[in-house]
Parts: sequence; structure tokens; C-alpha cells
Amino acid sequence: MKTLRADLMVIWLVATTALCVGLLINQFRDTPLPLVYKDKAERLQDSVQRIASKESASAPAPMVHLPEKLSLEEFASYVENKRGLILDARPEIFHRLGHVPGALSLPRDDFEKGYAAVKAKLETDRSQPIVIYCSDASCEDSGLVKKSLAALGFSNLTLYEGGWNGWTNAKKPEETAQ
Amino acid sequence: MDKRKETGGNRAMRLFIQNRWFLPGLRLALGGVFLYAGTTKVIGPQAFADSIATFKMLPPQLINIVALGLPPFEILAGLMLVSGWNARAASLAVAGLAFVFGIALGQALIRGLVVDCGCFGSGEPSTLKTWGSFGRALLILAGSLWVFCMQDTD
Repeated sequence: MKTLRADLMVIWLVATTALCVGLLINQFRDTPLPLVYKDKAERLQDSVQRIASKESASAPAPMVHLPEKLSLEEFASYVENKRGLILDARPEIFHRLGHVPGALSLPRDDFEKGYAAVKAKLETDRSQPIVIYCSDASCEDSGLVKKSLAALGFSNLTLYEGGWNGWTNAKKPEETAQ
Repeated sequence: MDKRKETGGNRAMRLFIQNRWFLPGLRLALGGVFLYAGTTKVIGPQAFADSIATFKMLPPQLINIVALGLPPFEILAGLMLVSGWNARAASLAVAGLAFVFGIALGQALIRGLVVDCGCFGSGEPSTLKTWGSFGRALLILAGSLWVFCMQDTD
């Protein structure tokens, strides 16, 4: 019994030390984790608000008729004809490993940095169609990025829900980052 | 006196368990697993916090605290098991963690939640992987309890 008590005391000390170490390491990160958790959508909304506060309001883009979602054939025609802008909402590392030809990286998990990198291309023509994809139909990243871009004043947005998995399963051409 | 005959398989298992290298080997294996698991999570606390959130067990006020505190705890427990310093206490801690992980994974399976275990960094959530993680938690629980019972006190 005495030994068990001593073991529990050691565990308590180790747990306290671990929490202190974890909190300390967090303070030295580029972007420390806040103490209260925010889900992916809330974090993205915060990023959009920060971007919007830095930018002046743009005139709404003229609407182009776009379906809510594209089929594989429709998406392939956008890619082959280099029509509009294709955005990859997956984490940047996956984009580097392989992406749809011509697609630019705008990762959901690092939206502010990604947006700054593609902003010039987005602003070239605000009426151009923008197609967003992520991994597959079960991933929510493309939908969240679409919402964020809509909040930033882009209106001609659509999704390719099949995503990277649908594209590669169909044996379509791939491109890797140089 | 009723003396049952020991089968070949049972004898091999008994000799394996009684081998003097079995306990240190088990400690090293468990310690290595927790050292690796803790290190992958220290690197990406946000991804680990997202994994914890998929279990829908903790309020937002606790998710990030656990995501920051648990990985160093796993690393320290892993180091203690590997080095043998307070290994009994470390094995009890690891058993506790495995028990909690098992409960978390089990309730996710019962509720039909598709979760990302986050045990070794983040990955694609899937039910099959959750079953695999559940089985692994049970194995770790059994192994750590064995170490706790067999390890001499420091």
C-alpha cells in the first residue's frame, strides 16, 4: 500500500512537470496554442477576419454561372483548358508531394500564409471561376476554404468533391512542386 | 495428486515469460512506443488538439491543456521505462493512459464517431484504424500491468 502511494506520488510529480514543460514549450512556438481550443472553422474565421481587417473592401465580382460542385469530367475540362483558378485546400506538404496540374496551394490549416501567396493571382481577375479541392468527399477543407473566400468577396467559387483521391484514382495527370 | 500435462505451446510461453530478458524487453518496448508517440505529438500540438476534439469527450477549455501536457508526460514516462528509474510508477502511469485511451476509443466506436486517434501524430480518421488503435491500447494496458506487477520496487 505504501509502495502504491509512493508510485502515485511520482506519477503526480511527473504529470505536473510534464504540464509545466508543455506550457513552457508552447510559449516559444511561432504561433502558440491558445489555452481554449478553437475548431478548424473558428480558426479559419479568425484568419479571414484578420485578412479582411487589413484589406480595403473590394467591389463584388460579377457573377458567372457555376454549378455548386463539379463532376470529374467537368473538373478535368477546367484543368485541361486552364480555365479559371484551381486551388488545393490540403496541407501544403501534400500539395508539394503531388497536385492537379496548375493548382495553387491555399491550405485550410495555414490560410493566412497561403492567401498572401496566391492573392496576386486571385486579384488578377475577380470574375474568374475558382475551383477548390481537397483529399476526397469526406474532407471538409475545400468547403471551409470556399466559405472563407466567399467572405473575402470572391463569388465565382465551386468545389470538386472527388478531390485528390478522385483525380488520381481516375489516372489523371499529376504535378509536383519544383 | 492431479498433475496436468503441460502442452508444448504452454511450456514455450512459460519459458518465454520467465526469461530474464522478458521484463526489460517489455519495458524497453513500452518505453520506446511512448517516447515515439510523445515526440510526434510535441511537434504538432494543434493537430493533436484537433484529434482530441474528434472524440467529443472534453470541453474546449480542456482540449488544448491536454494537447500540451500529455505529450511531455508520455515522453517522461517512456524515458522512465527505458532507463528503469521508477519503472513501476511509470508502468502504472502508462497503464492509466492506455486505460483512458481504451475508454476514449471504445466510446467513439460505440457512438459511431469517425475519429483520428492522434496516437502517433495526426492522420486520416477511419473506423478500421480506430479498431486497430483500440486493440493496441489493450495490448499496452496488459503489458504495462505486467511490468507493474513484476517490476521490483526501486
